[in-house]
Amino acid sequence: MDKNIQDFVTELLKKAEEAGFIEAEAVYGADSTMSVSAREGKIVEYENNESSSLSFRGLFNGQMGYASTEDIRPEMIPFLLEQAKDNCSVLEVKEKITVYEGEKEYPEFNGFFEELTSIDYDYLANTALSLEQALLAYDSRIEAVDDCFAVYGSAEIMIRNSKGMHCESRTNGFDVYIGCRAKEGEDVQTYGKGWSFTDLSQFNIQECVNKVGRRVIDKLGAKPVSSAKLPVVLDKVAARALLASFAGSFSAEAIQKGISRLVGKLGEVIADSKITLIDEGMIEGSALCMPFDSEGVSAKRTVLIDKGRFTSELHNRKTALVDGVESTGNATGGTKGPLGIAPTNLYFEKGQYTQDELFEKMGNGIYITAVYGLHAGINAISGDFSLMSEGFLIENGKIGKPVNQITIADNFFDVLMKVEALANDVDYTTPESTHIQSPSLLIPDVSVAGE
Amino acid sequence: MLTKESIERILTAALSHGGDFSEVYIERTRGTSVSLLNGVVEGTGSNLELGIGIRILEGDRSVYVYSNDLHNEENLIRMARSASASISGVPAGKTVYLKPQLGYFSQKYEIQPSSIKKSEKVYKLRKAGETAKSYSSLITQTSASTADVEKDVWIANSDGLYVTDHRCRTRVMIQAIASSEEDKQSGYFGPGSGEGYEFFERLDTDELARKAAATAVTMISAKPCPSGKMPVVIGNGFGGVIFHEACGHALEATAVGIKSSCFTDMLGKQIASPIVTAYDDAKISKEWGSYEVDDEGTPSSTNLLIQDGILNSYLIDKIGSRRMGQPSTGCARRQNYSFAPTSRMSNTFIAAGESKPEDIIADTEYGIYAVNMGGGSVDTTTGEFNFAVNEAYMIRNGKVCEAVKGATLIGKGGEILMNIDRVGNDLKLSQGVCGSVSGNIPVDVGQPTIRVSEITVGGQA
Repeated sequence: MDKNIQDFVTELLKKAEEAGFIEAEAVYGADSTMSVSAREGKIVEYENNESSSLSFRGLFNGQMGYASTEDIRPEMIPFLLEQAKDNCSVLEVKEKITVYEGEKEYPEFNGFFEELTSIDYDYLANTALSLEQALLAYDSRIEAVDDCFAVYGSAEIMIRNSKGMHCESRTNGFDVYIGCRAKEGEDVQTYGKGWSFTDLSQFNIQECVNKVGRRVIDKLGAKPVSSAKLPVVLDKVAARALLASFAGSFSAEAIQKGISRLVGKLGEVIADSKITLIDEGMIEGSALCMPFDSEGVSAKRTVLIDKGRFTSELHNRKTALVDGVESTGNATGGTKGPLGIAPTNLYFEKGQYTQDELFEKMGNGIYITAVYGLHAGINAISGDFSLMSEGFLIENGKIGKPVNQITIADNFFDVLMKVEALANDVDYTTPESTHIQSPSLLIPDVSVAGE
Repeated sequence: MLTKESIERILTAALSHGGDFSEVYIERTRGTSVSLLNGVVEGTGSNLELGIGIRILEGDRSVYVYSNDLHNEENLIRMARSASASISGVPAGKTVYLKPQLGYFSQKYEIQPSSIKKSEKVYKLRKAGETAKSYSSLITQTSASTADVEKDVWIANSDGLYVTDHRCRTRVMIQAIASSEEDKQSGYFGPGSGEGYEFFERLDTDELARKAAATAVTMISAKPCPSGKMPVVIGNGFGGVIFHEACGHALEATAVGIKSSCFTDMLGKQIASPIVTAYDDAKISKEWGSYEVDDEGTPSSTNLLIQDGILNSYLIDKIGSRRMGQPSTGCARRQNYSFAPTSRMSNTFIAAGESKPEDIIADTEYGIYAVNMGGGSVDTTTGEFNFAVNEAYMIRNGKVCEAVKGATLIGKGGEILMNIDRVGNDLKLSQGVCGSVSGNIPVDVGQPTIRVSEITVGGQA
């Protein structure tokens, strides 16, 4: 970490004590990205950025006040302290919040890959140009590649406080995204997909292109189906999107504030016995791997649903104190306001069937490959959702014609109870993984609206 | 702050190795917020954002770099030179001289938000929370919050343009949650304005709290919405999100300029029912989505997008202008310095028509009356859009009947615009936040009450 930043934080913590803060903590975050975008055989956009911000939190008059700045010079220290103090004067948080003294030991962690630091403009440009060229060559019906990015990014974070805690971590990664449109007659379809690599030997341009090219061509000719209650296989991509949308229900903060469907349900059966849901901070090679959370609590493995039974909520130190339990290491944010709670790597344990076996079990129904409008088409508290979707018909256990312009509507918590089978088609550490993962799910009786 | 001479040196460095146009955007934003949950102040924030973005164009290709470090000119010059080197082309070799500074004041606040004590804001928010809570015993949670930003920007480019703008926006959000044994439903209002604290001071927060509580209480006893294609009457105000999604995004040069939009090459052609006229108007005084000058330094405009169903204009920024051969409409916007600007909406709405809202309902035999909308999204290439309905009722025999919940409306922009068969006379604008390639920006959506003769309604029933 930059010596100027270390000196700034040392000075900030010292001045905070002089200003009467009982406890104080600084969180510094910095990231840099280099991004190249290709279109029609040219590099059309190039970005190369660095940014950093510093946030301060301090305990004064029994309240933890916050302030943040992107102007990190010694003359900004008074601004941070005055603003945080002013915020303390209006806060009325009842729970006692303190800064953490830190762990004796943190797990071994390597999220920074030296090999990736050799990625330069030329590598990104060649990658983006090759991806576009290969995708256009995949099929003559692919009319254009509208989005084609190659990105190298790195980030570092440091937390230091008046109790002597000092945590630092550094990560980097290489991402690509390709999105294209295909046309046949008057029918236009689009499809896009992204990957995150930490090992360049796993990156194969043709493999990426084949996945996108095949899907967009398969989507040509898609039509709605008639409105009905139908069995559905939710592809892992659609299933994880749903899980991500309702993950907030497991936050102890939401539960304590009464804005979760899971209020008072701890210890009860909330899902079919086939369902086990786990949050795990450190999975080597996963999309989000952090040795500590935003309070400096070390990463943990928490079983939220154990064979259908709701066994634990996600906690930070504040909510853990209220419930008389240990933090699960899920504190998040705290750079521009109070600390919140978020999952780390959250996943349903995989089942025993292949995806094809789910289709066979279903017989006739719909295979949903994507859902849209998740920021609006859900009731995050009640679990209700109604989402624009697309996919394929399943006829006699086999993939049939493409389907679009339909919605699927149900309730997430009802889905947990009625899920009929889970596939084994999820891997938590591939370049396609996100930090929230699910295998494909077979669900009976989902409301499908179409024609 | 960087001097005019420093900015000239950066703009010159940005053309040293390639590029035909360079631009600097500097921003300093102060933001404060206060939020209450169940009457208790749970969060307050004070943030300072500061940064510079440097953009270089060569034809329709662009390079964008940004940094927070405004106090190291040497580093900024180095960044500008290296950005210039990455854009192949003939170096313009031009020394940039800026014209005298032109000062804009997009939002003329009366009371500076940061001059008001947070405790004063807390008092009014707490009262609103209490009003919502006391509305009904079914209300179990309330939240009330306010956030304001004061943003100063400096925009300069190699054509010699040098403008500054001061922007100020205030928003208030009130939510009430009603609970039953198995369900929780919420009612929400989030008005905003291009004004200072006077907006919050003037706002009838208690009335908003009652309305939010009333929606939550109505929706807790609502039945699941039916599914299928049917007529839908969409209420005024935030109902305009349908036009924003079904049409607005696809008129942005971001999509039209690369011919990926479903409305490419449609100028002068009919794309909507003849009773539809629509604007993107950044010049409405004190509106949440308004501004005097865009993020490329171009003065804003009142842009007539559709006249009597005929496509009249697109939303065009500088790169779009180069790609499309049409002038900029002054719509280049960005969340902050960490995004390059692109074509975006401001206050986008369907203009008032002639029908009375009550007649539109009386004229509808069977369908849905969607009163309050949530957000949505769109694929501008296929025109496929979706958006959520937060408060809705069945219409039978021209009468508004029971409340229904959980509906999402989907369709294709080109088809839905043609299916608008009634436009009311009760135009209203509502405030929201639009997320797209250049980040989250404040926008208004709006419309009078309209009817769509047929649209796919996705519900649980």
